[in-house]
Amino acid sequence: MPSPAVAGTGAATTAGAATPAPGTRPGARRWAAWAAYVVVIPVLLYLTPHVYNNQLLLLNLVVYLVLAQGVNVIYGFTGYLPFGYVGFFGAGAYGTSMAVIHLHTGGTVAVLIGAVVSTAMAVVLLPLLRLTGAYFALASLAASQAVYLVIANPSLTSFTKGPYGVDLSRVFNPNLAYLYAAILLAVATAVVVYLRNSAFGLSLRAVRADPLTASVAGINVARARGIAWLASAVLAGLAGGISAWVTSVFYPETVFAINISVFAIVFALFGGVGSVLGPVFGGIILYSLYEYIGVSSPQYFQFAYGLLIVILMLFLPGGLASVARAARSLWERTGGRVHRRA
Amino acid sequence: MLFGYALIAGVLFGLFYAFMSTGLNLLFGVLRLVNLAHGDIVVFGAYVAYSLSSMAGLNPLLAIPITIVPALAFGVLLYYGTVPRLNRSQDTEMASLILFFGVSQVLEAVATFAYGNNQASLSPTTFGGPINILGEHVPATWVVCGLLSIPALVVLFVYLYRSRLGMATRAVMASREEAAAAGINTRRVAALAFGIGVAFAAASGALTIFMLGGVNPSTGSELVLTAFTVVVIGSLGNPIGTVVGGLLYGLVFTFTKTYSPSWADIVPYLLMLVVLLVRPTGILGRRVRSA
Amino acid sequence: MPLSLLSRQRSRRSRRWLRSTVAVVAVGALAAACGSSAKKGSTSTGSSQSTLTVGTLYAGSGDYSASSLPEYEGLQFWVNQVNGQGGVTIAGKKYHVKLVAYNDQSDPTTAATLYNQLLTQNKVDVFVADFGSVLTAPAITIAKEHHQVLFDPTGSGAVFFSNGANPYVLLTSLPTSAVWPNVAVDFLLSEHVTKVAIIYGTNDFDGSQAATIKKGLEAKGVTPLYYQGVDSKTSDYGTIIQTVKDKSPQAVIELGYENNDIAFLNDLRSAGVHFPFVLTPFPAQLPDLFAKDVGTAGLAYTFAYGVPPVLQINNVNYGMGFTAFSKAFSAAHGGATLNFLDVAGYNAGLVIQDSLAHAKSTKQLDIRAGAAALSGKLRTLMGSFVIDDTGEQLGELLPVAQYFPNGGFKIVYPADQATTKPVYPAPAS
Repeated sequence: MPSPAVAGTGAATTAGAATPAPGTRPGARRWAAWAAYVVVIPVLLYLTPHVYNNQLLLLNLVVYLVLAQGVNVIYGFTGYLPFGYVGFFGAGAYGTSMAVIHLHTGGTVAVLIGAVVSTAMAVVLLPLLRLTGAYFALASLAASQAVYLVIANPSLTSFTKGPYGVDLSRVFNPNLAYLYAAILLAVATAVVVYLRNSAFGLSLRAVRADPLTASVAGINVARARGIAWLASAVLAGLAGGISAWVTSVFYPETVFAINISVFAIVFALFGGVGSVLGPVFGGIILYSLYEYIGVSSPQYFQFAYGLLIVILMLFLPGGLASVARAARSLWERTGGRVHRRA
Repeated sequence: MLFGYALIAGVLFGLFYAFMSTGLNLLFGVLRLVNLAHGDIVVFGAYVAYSLSSMAGLNPLLAIPITIVPALAFGVLLYYGTVPRLNRSQDTEMASLILFFGVSQVLEAVATFAYGNNQASLSPTTFGGPINILGEHVPATWVVCGLLSIPALVVLFVYLYRSRLGMATRAVMASREEAAAAGINTRRVAALAFGIGVAFAAASGALTIFMLGGVNPSTGSELVLTAFTVVVIGSLGNPIGTVVGGLLYGLVFTFTKTYSPSWADIVPYLLMLVVLLVRPTGILGRRVRSA
Repeated sequence: MPLSLLSRQRSRRSRRWLRSTVAVVAVGALAAACGSSAKKGSTSTGSSQSTLTVGTLYAGSGDYSASSLPEYEGLQFWVNQVNGQGGVTIAGKKYHVKLVAYNDQSDPTTAATLYNQLLTQNKVDVFVADFGSVLTAPAITIAKEHHQVLFDPTGSGAVFFSNGANPYVLLTSLPTSAVWPNVAVDFLLSEHVTKVAIIYGTNDFDGSQAATIKKGLEAKGVTPLYYQGVDSKTSDYGTIIQTVKDKSPQAVIELGYENNDIAFLNDLRSAGVHFPFVLTPFPAQLPDLFAKDVGTAGLAYTFAYGVPPVLQINNVNYGMGFTAFSKAFSAAHGGATLNFLDVAGYNAGLVIQDSLAHAKSTKQLDIRAGAAALSGKLRTLMGSFVIDDTGEQLGELLPVAQYFPNGGFKIVYPADQATTKPVYPAPAS
C-alpha cells in the first residue's frame, strides 16, 4: 500500500479533473445544455419503439438506466456503495403489487405507492449510513435479502402471496408504463444535474472527501447523506414499480435478484460515477452488449462480465467519463490552438 | 433431546464456520479489504476434494494438503496483480470490493465450465455411520469436519502468536505505519497474509462439501456473506473473534433451524445487521479502531 | 485563464456534447430499426411460403439450465422429426417448421425481453415457454396482450391459471400442481398411513404440491403431524431430520428441487435415520444425477413420482411411444440416456403438432380450439392429455415409483400401471 500522502495527491488530481472548478456558477447556456440532456435522451428513447418495436426490451433498458443513475446519486456523490440496492427495487415492485391486489388501484397510483414503500424502507435503513465502506455495502445487501426472505415467506402468503407469485395482468398497460419510465429517466438525470451544479451537491462531495472537515464547515453530514439515500431509494422504488407493472406475473426472486444491483452498479461504474451522462451511456452500451452476448454466446457471459469488472477497476476506475474528459481536454487544447490561429 | 442435538450440531458447525471464515478475516485485518471471491475459493477447494474422491477414488480430505501450496501461490500472485494498482485509486476500499466481486464472477464461471451447474456432493457415509455423542447420534461427517477445524485454527494461532512472521503480521494489523517504522516490510507481510488467507479458504473447501451437503458454482456467493457475518460478529481483524463469531453463528443458526426452520435463512442477515448497528466493532472488537 | 473565458468554452463544449449525444442515440435507433426491419422481412417471406415459425427460450446457464436444456433438446428433436416427415399440417396444408430460440440465462427479466422479441420481431406462429414457473411467468401476460397462445411445457404455477378462462396459455407436459400429487395421496391412504410429515421448499413449485397433499390427506381425516416450509436453497436437513424423527412418522415427504432432494436423501443416511416411507419428487426424473450423487444405498426403497423414463407408456395414439422415442432420441444424441425433461419437450411438440392438425387455420384462436379438441382424446408417451378452459392440464397423472436396489425405479401404484408391488414399510438397510 503506498503512503497516504501519495494516495492523497492521486485523489486530488483525479477529483480536480472530475469536477473542474465546482464553485463556478454555470451560465444560462450551460443550464440550457443540461436541460437538453435531461429531455433529449428520454424523448429519443421514448420515440424509439416507433422504429424498433420490442418495447419491453427498451423498457428494461430505461429501468436499468434509472437504476444506474440511482447508484450514481448515492455512490457517486456520497461514496456509499449499495450492494443491496435491489432491495428498494423489490420493495417498490411489491408495494406496487400489494396496491393492485389489496387496494385495487390502477397502475399509476400503484407505482406511486410502491415508491412510498421503498422510501419507507430507506427510512428504516437510515441507521445503515452510520456504517462505512465494506460494512455498509454488505449490510445493505443483508438488508435487501432479509426483506426478500420476509416477503417470500409462506406464512405471509395471505398478504404478499409468499413464494407463489403475483399477477398484475388486470392493470397491464405497457405503453403508459413506458412513458412513465422515460419520464423517470428524465427525473433521475435531472437529480444528477442538480447534484452536479447545486450547493447541496457540492456539500455532498465535501462530505465524501472529508466528513469531519465538512461538518466543521457547517454541513449537516447525516442530513446530506440521508437525503441522497432517500432520493436513490425513490428512484429505485419507482423503477421497481414500473418494472413490476409490465412484468405483470412474477415471483419474489424475480424482483430481488442480486443481479439487478450488480448490473446497476456495473453500468454506473462503466460510464463513470459522479458524471451526468456516464451512467446513461455506460448502461446503453453494456446493456446492448449483454443482449448481444446473451443471444450469441451466453456460456461466456458471466466470465466476460467478471473480467470486464476486473479490467475496469484496474485500468479505468473513472469509467467512460474519465476517457471522455481526457479526450475532451486533449481536443480542446489542440482545437483551441487551431481556433486561435485561424 | 432435540436441544442436546442442536447444541452439539451448533458447536460443530460453529468450529467449521470459524475455519471457513478465518481467511477472510486475516485479509481484512492486514489489508483492510473484503475479498468477495473468498466463497468461490472455498468452493474451488470443495471441487478439488470432489474430484479426488469421485474421479481418483482417494480420500477427499487429501484436498487439504494438496490445495494449500497452489492456493497460497495464487493468493500471493493475486495480491501483486491487483492490490498495488488498487491503492492508486481514489477509494481503495470500494475499488477492491468491486474488483474482487469481478474475480468472484470469473471464478464462478470457470467452476461452471469445469463442473456444470449441478450439485456436486460426496457420500455422506465417507467417514462411517453416525457417532454417538452424549446419547445423540450425530453424522460422522459433521464430527470429523468440525473437529478437523480445531487443528487448522490452532496452526493459524501458532503462526500469528509464536512465529516471527506472524508477529510481524499482527504488528501490521495493529498499525501499518508503526510496523513500517519498525522496519517491517509491510508489503511482503501483506502479500503473505493474502496468500495464507486464500490458502485457508481453499483448505476449508474439503470440509464445506460435507457440511453443506454439496456445492455448486453459485454456493460461493452465499458463503462469502456467511463468512462476513461470522467475522463481523467476532470483530473484523481479530482472529480469536472469528472463533467466537463462528460458534455463536453456528449455534444461533442451528437452533433457529431446529425450532423455526422456515425463518432460519433470514438469521444470518439479521444477525449481521444487529451486530453492525448495535456493536459495529464486533463482540471482541477494540474501540480504538473505527470501522 | 479568466473565468469568463472558461465558462464560454465550457458552454461550447456542452453544445458539442449535446450534438454528439443526439448523433449517438439517433445512430443507435437507426441501427435498431434496420435490424428489426431486416428480421421482419425474412420472417414474412418465410411464412408467406410454407414455413411455420416456432419460438421458444432456453436457459443456457444459471439455476434452471440443468432442466431447461434437456427440455429444449426434446423440442428440437420434435422439430427435426416433424420436418423429416414433411412438416406439420394445418387445414390440409403442409408447413416446414422453423425453430427460433433465445437464451435467457435463467434470468426472468431477460426472459421477458426475449419473449417479447419472439412476438414483436420474429413474429412467431407458435409460442413456447421455457422450463418451469419462474421463467414461464414473464410470458403469461405478454401472450395475452399479443393474443398469442402460449404452449407451456412445464410451468405449472397456479397463478397462471387463476384468472378464469384464458385461451392464451395451455400446459402441455405436466398436470397442474393442484392434481399432480393426488396419486401419491391415494397411495398413502391405500397403505393406511396416518402419521405423515411434510417438508417443502418455500417456492411455488414445492409449496403448491405440499398444499395439495395436505388438502388431500385432510379430506380423508389424516392431518399431517409435521408440515414445514424451508428455504429453497437449504442444503442441510440434519436438524430437521432430528425434529421429524422425534415425531416418529410413518411417512416423510420432502418436496424440493433436485439439489434439495439430493441433500435430504444424503442427510438421512449420514444421520443414520430410517423412515418406513420416504417420497421425494426428483429421483425418477433425473436418474443419472441421483445415481451419481445419492447412490443405491441412499435411494433404496424410497418413493418418487413415476415419470419417464421410469414410466414407459407405449400404448399411444399419437407420436412415438416411449421405447421408440428413447431409441431415436439417444441415437440422435450420441447414445445419451434421456431424462424426464427430454420427454416433456418432445411431448410439448406433439401437443403443438396435433393442435395444429385440428386447427381450421393458423389463427391463434383456431390453434387453441384445435388443442381443446384434443382434450381427453390425445394419448401420448406422457399419458392422456386433458385440458380445461383456463389452460390447466388435468391428465398425464404421475404414478408412484419405488427404487429397488437391484433394478432401479419401478412403478408400484396405481395397480393398472404398476410393474411390481410396493414394499412398505421400507426395510432398513
